[in-house]
Amino acid sequence: MNTQPSIDDLLAGIIIAISDEIIPNLANAKAYATASMMQSVLQEIRQLVPVYETYLVDEHNDMTRVLRETAAVLGSPTGAEATRIHERAATLGQRADLPTPLDPAVLASAHRELGTALVDTIVDLDVLQRAGQASADAALDIVRAHLGPRYVRDAQTIVAGSGMLGRG
Amino acid sequence: MEQQLIDFLMHTFPDAQSITIEGLEPIPGGYSRETFRFDAAVRWPDRSERVAFILRKDPPPQVSILTTSRAVEHDLIEAVREHTSVPVSKSYGHVMDASVFGEPAMVLERAHGSGATSDLFNGGPDADQADDVVRHLCEAMVELHTADLTKLNPSDALSDPRGVGIDTSSWDAYMDSTFEYYINAYPSLAYDPSTVILLDAALTMRRNKPRPLSLALVHGDFNPANFLYHDGRVTALIDWENSRIGDPREDLGWMTTMDVISNTDVMSHPRDEGGFLAYYNKLTGWNITPEELDYFNLFGTLNIAVPVNAAVARRLANEHQTFLHLYLLQPSCAALPSLAAMLNYPGVTA
Repeated sequence: MNTQPSIDDLLAGIIIAISDEIIPNLANAKAYATASMMQSVLQEIRQLVPVYETYLVDEHNDMTRVLRETAAVLGSPTGAEATRIHERAATLGQRADLPTPLDPAVLASAHRELGTALVDTIVDLDVLQRAGQASADAALDIVRAHLGPRYVRDAQTIVAGSGMLGRG
Repeated sequence: MEQQLIDFLMHTFPDAQSITIEGLEPIPGGYSRETFRFDAAVRWPDRSERVAFILRKDPPPQVSILTTSRAVEHDLIEAVREHTSVPVSKSYGHVMDASVFGEPAMVLERAHGSGATSDLFNGGPDADQADDVVRHLCEAMVELHTADLTKLNPSDALSDPRGVGIDTSSWDAYMDSTFEYYINAYPSLAYDPSTVILLDAALTMRRNKPRPLSLALVHGDFNPANFLYHDGRVTALIDWENSRIGDPREDLGWMTTMDVISNTDVMSHPRDEGGFLAYYNKLTGWNITPEELDYFNLFGTLNIAVPVNAAVARRLANEHQTFLHLYLLQPSCAALPSLAAMLNYPGVTA
């Protein structure tokens, strides 16, 4: 998977393209409004993506505390409602905390560092192969065996349709 | 733009009394040049004629994917017309002064014939013409690849049209200098480490060069979308902007790639000759093998991938904000599994 362009890079690019390449060519006021709303929703997604999982985990973990504390503060009144509140505290409220997701920027940086190391490895292996080091061929295959399935998975994940729109 | 076209054509047809432009409209498609179609009603003292034209215009330099010269393309087209029988549209001239059309441009005859080449294959409406059209296409390509380079490249402008240090003094020099270009260009296109397969491909090809073959004029984008046909004949080979001196197997390899991507079947025709490669070999005696085609399939892919990915990298570095270059990530990404298969990456099949 690419670390660049990031999802944010792509969304920002679409917002700019709507302003620069679409809106100037719109003659219809409703279409202009829709294009502007699309930009707004895309900006919403840009703001959501970096925090979405972190917020979900954070809120998940805090809701278990809320269920437990609600039951504790309620005490022991009788009735079906109180019983259900205590059951929730004893079941859902006892869930273990989910792990906090990695900061996307930290993850991308770590991934990019290793990717660059693979580039450098291929360059070094080429020198060894040209020098006749037979084991370098097998070593290159190790790198390629990692990269190949990644390219297939990336193409399946990233490409929509044939990925050839606009070529004519 | 209509007045500029009239001024251009009045210069081209100095005896014309009047010229009017009709039906000027952009032709969608293509990632490199901006192309427009138009007709000109030309009135001479003794007659009138309606002439069909194409205007090919460069994009702004900062968003250009393939930086090529309309003047060089014009000179080449006219040399091909003069010295070969390869079907090609007449070029009426070029305007390198960007103040005229906004960017350098050229004006070409709009050749007759169908560009819907997919109609020739897979049971399409013109499938009965496929053998004859591809036979003619192959003969045209053989003529191009065996043409006298001193006639087609008199000013040497086609030896290194990208200005990247290509040396065509011999086949080995050409291949080695092209690999140097691919390898040296890598840092400028490596917007992400995952692009390393392009570097791996260049290094691998450099380690495994095939037998030499005489250098020739190659079309440079010989693919199923770049010819027109009518009544069993090719009426024009189009889009010569990537033409250059190179190995003729580059054109065959690129056609092989694009034939698959385009879901056409050029390489299987003419069937009575055993397909395109067999007929090409029969005409040239070069005995090009499928393995050599695979090699130049990879070579041609890099020839396009290097400028395309460099253009993507410039967009990601915010040198400009054109959207097309972000979209180009998709075709680039789509091509990588087949590139990996060509390089025999373990676990990847074609």
